[in-house]
Amino acid sequence: MPEPVGPAEARRVAEAALDLPGADAVEVLFLHEWGGLTRFASSHIHQSTSREDTGIRVRAVSEGRTGVAATNEFSVEGARRAAASALEMARVAAPDPLFPGLAPQAPLPDAGDRFDEATARATPRFRADAVAALVGAVEDPAFHAAGAFETSAAEVAVATSQGQFCYAPTTQATISTVVSGGEGGAGISESAAGRMGDLDPERTGRRAFAKASGSQRPRQVEPGRYDVVLEPLAVSTLVAFLAYMGFGGKGIAEGRSPFSGKEGQRVCGEAVSITDDALSPDTLGLPFDFEGTPKRRVTLIDRGVFVSGVHDRRSAKQAGVESTGHALPAPNPDGAFPLNLFLAPGEATLEDMVRTTERGLLVTRFHYSNIVHPIETTITGMTRDGTWLIENGQVTAPVTNLRFTQSVLEALSNVRMVGRDTELAAEFSFAASRVPALAISGFTFSGRSDH
Amino acid sequence: MLDVVQHAVEAARRAGAGYADARWVAEETESLTVRNQEMEGIDRALSQGIGIRVLVDGYWGFAASARVTPEDVEHTAGLAVEIARAASRLPTDPVRLSPVEPVTASWSTRVQEDPFTVPLDEKVALLMEASRRMQAVKGLAFGEAILDFYRRRTSFASSEGAAIQQTITNSGGSIAATAIGDGEVQRRTFPGSSRGGLLAAGYERVRTLPLVQEAERVASEAVGLLSAKDCPSEVTTLILDGEQMMSQVHESVGHPLELDRVLGMEEAYAGTSFVKLEDRGTLRYGSDKVTLVADATSDGGLGSFGFDDEGVPAQRVVLVENGVFQDFISSRETAPVLGDGAASAGAMRADGWQNLPLIRMTNINLEPGEGTLAEIIGDTKDGIFMTTNTSWSIDDKRVNFQFGCEVAWRIKDGRLTEMYRNPNYTGITTEFWGSCDAVGGREEWAMWGTPNCGKGQPGQVARVGHGTAPARFRGVQVGVR
Repeated sequence: MPEPVGPAEARRVAEAALDLPGADAVEVLFLHEWGGLTRFASSHIHQSTSREDTGIRVRAVSEGRTGVAATNEFSVEGARRAAASALEMARVAAPDPLFPGLAPQAPLPDAGDRFDEATARATPRFRADAVAALVGAVEDPAFHAAGAFETSAAEVAVATSQGQFCYAPTTQATISTVVSGGEGGAGISESAAGRMGDLDPERTGRRAFAKASGSQRPRQVEPGRYDVVLEPLAVSTLVAFLAYMGFGGKGIAEGRSPFSGKEGQRVCGEAVSITDDALSPDTLGLPFDFEGTPKRRVTLIDRGVFVSGVHDRRSAKQAGVESTGHALPAPNPDGAFPLNLFLAPGEATLEDMVRTTERGLLVTRFHYSNIVHPIETTITGMTRDGTWLIENGQVTAPVTNLRFTQSVLEALSNVRMVGRDTELAAEFSFAASRVPALAISGFTFSGRSDH
Repeated sequence: MLDVVQHAVEAARRAGAGYADARWVAEETESLTVRNQEMEGIDRALSQGIGIRVLVDGYWGFAASARVTPEDVEHTAGLAVEIARAASRLPTDPVRLSPVEPVTASWSTRVQEDPFTVPLDEKVALLMEASRRMQAVKGLAFGEAILDFYRRRTSFASSEGAAIQQTITNSGGSIAATAIGDGEVQRRTFPGSSRGGLLAAGYERVRTLPLVQEAERVASEAVGLLSAKDCPSEVTTLILDGEQMMSQVHESVGHPLELDRVLGMEEAYAGTSFVKLEDRGTLRYGSDKVTLVADATSDGGLGSFGFDDEGVPAQRVVLVENGVFQDFISSRETAPVLGDGAASAGAMRADGWQNLPLIRMTNINLEPGEGTLAEIIGDTKDGIFMTTNTSWSIDDKRVNFQFGCEVAWRIKDGRLTEMYRNPNYTGITTEFWGSCDAVGGREEWAMWGTPNCGKGQPGQVARVGHGTAPARFRGVQVGVR
């Protein structure tokens, strides 16, 4: 396993870039990532990889102009070269009237220990054994499993010439599988955690197999308006797209967000509260953002009322507020983004939701979704890996996949029940959302597929 | 760096690999973004390292590191072998590679002007002027102009004796105008959306792109869309411009014909395909107007190269001929399932040094038909013309799709009339291609680039090319609500 670089060495290399003659200010983002991924298909391991990379990204400021250069040459010389390149770019850039300055020294919140030695040191053999346990849970030889088990570790540090230095090591483990076979139909299960010991590969395999075996011989139903019970994976798609379309402070200020000018107004049902909280022990996040600003918990929607978006230093200046600690790596024309979303749980079980649905669909997940109308928050996508018809409060038959075209905010305005249990969906490094299942009245399916 | 990759191959062989290949890759990028005459982003990046791929007893292993000292390379090679050995935990048939003649060769994109040596202030001045001209249009919220440059240098060696060096250069730029008002955000771009405009070329590509000249038109159309009607919901004749045809080809032809998807190797993530192995030569994919090729030799395509990342020479493969499916996009590992000594179609590419090569589209081209766009429109009594992609979605077997475009116009009696906003259309892949009754001629055919094709776990991004012409389809559902 690669050894962590550690805060002292990260600071030593960063200081070579911070000491940049001719620059008014400098920011250095340090990132060291390593890990392995064991990928399987047709119930055998077909692609397994390991990688390690160490990079630095330098933002140089000269007379209100900024330039950025990145390199994976992690050394004092590499840092100096990147810094010089960043300054060269800054000198030809136009001044940014909204440039807010770099992050000042500020204490970091306590996010707890998020580095698990065992996860960081996971071996190919360990991952292969875990995959074998997952595949072994697929009891019927007519079915097969595909998926991936990834263990990864990272060290992130940000240093600014304004005196801020922050460093955090983290680990992450994710396991996912799609089981398919028999006479058509498939099922998915996935889970993520900061420690691989918190994952249960065999249970992951069992859940996916149960879904796959329960979705055999799917029948076709007509597209149209259905009541739905969305499992957490499906809900995470709605929440992620809502965040992408709307929660960034820059888009809100510029009138590009569905929440522009909606502060304090009702935007969806009272049952819906959404926050972003990287500091929660129930997510996978960093205690600071990529500008070095400490993370804050932000209430985005409180019982159906839009409260505020998230900010980096630039959009905060534009809005006349403080950064909430949601900057992405520079340069970032799209602005701040919430990486650790929570949709507050309710009290219902999935069984409660199904039992109270007269006629509707139970949806496991959505696939390949995309935006149709960003202000109306309309997106389209397909169901996948387990969709069932509900009749008279009971799941009666698996159905072939349907295309939905639906406004997210309209769906969240029609939430009938909110699930008691939440699941964590890891989207990419340092980003995950934790959401429950939702029962929604009236959800538009605009087309269907043949499987 | 051939010595480094050859050392890696030798180290892997010593560690127990039956087959090994190694790639050292250095990728340089430069990106500039101007918005409303302000610098939104100006950055350069360099990433370099080595990726070592091995077969041990027929099982794959891959390890990658930025560290390339001899000791580090030996460690990475040993790790790749350890990974391959672990893969045998779930026994299966050993991988067999289709044969390829190992060559010693070098290849480079044809570049007239190195984009990385053009002064930054010249690039900034171009973007500022394009942005200024967009801003001059009353009612426009944002005028954005961008330039992107990539240069990838690769040294490849295999235990079969291949030694290949390549330099691939991509250059391009685009403009985007955004108008906001009355619950609408409308955007027009040129020459394409999603950082379009990128081709395999040097800075000469930028010099021939009329970013400044098109700025006013693009901005005016964006503002005009705010007061346009929404595209009506109906089943009608649909004509798509070349840029949208790029997305249509990419999603509903390129991906479903990747042989790894057909074999289930991507099942858990991107999905599989409706196309089956036995469909070659029989499946009616489209009308007889439809011929598609995978051509890594196309001039200017983002999927053009001399050799793929397995050392297989670039080639032209007919995928669909006069509407009938002919062949897949394949690799050395997958080609043998096709039987008859099938060889790789030369489509294995990796995203940088960090990733395992996967089957990726090269340049998936719709072969030209006859006539100009104006003639096709002129030959249409009633229908909708859509241009420039905004949104794409397709199911996990690539059957049911839905696309959105930036703008549409009603066609009445052979003429473009009313402009519509928020147009989209949906269909079923083979039904849609089967309804194609016109493809534009050579004079309308152009190479387009998709710079952000995602695939694989860990996720990889590839730049792929699509040569297309405008085309007409009958009986298409548009205006999905």
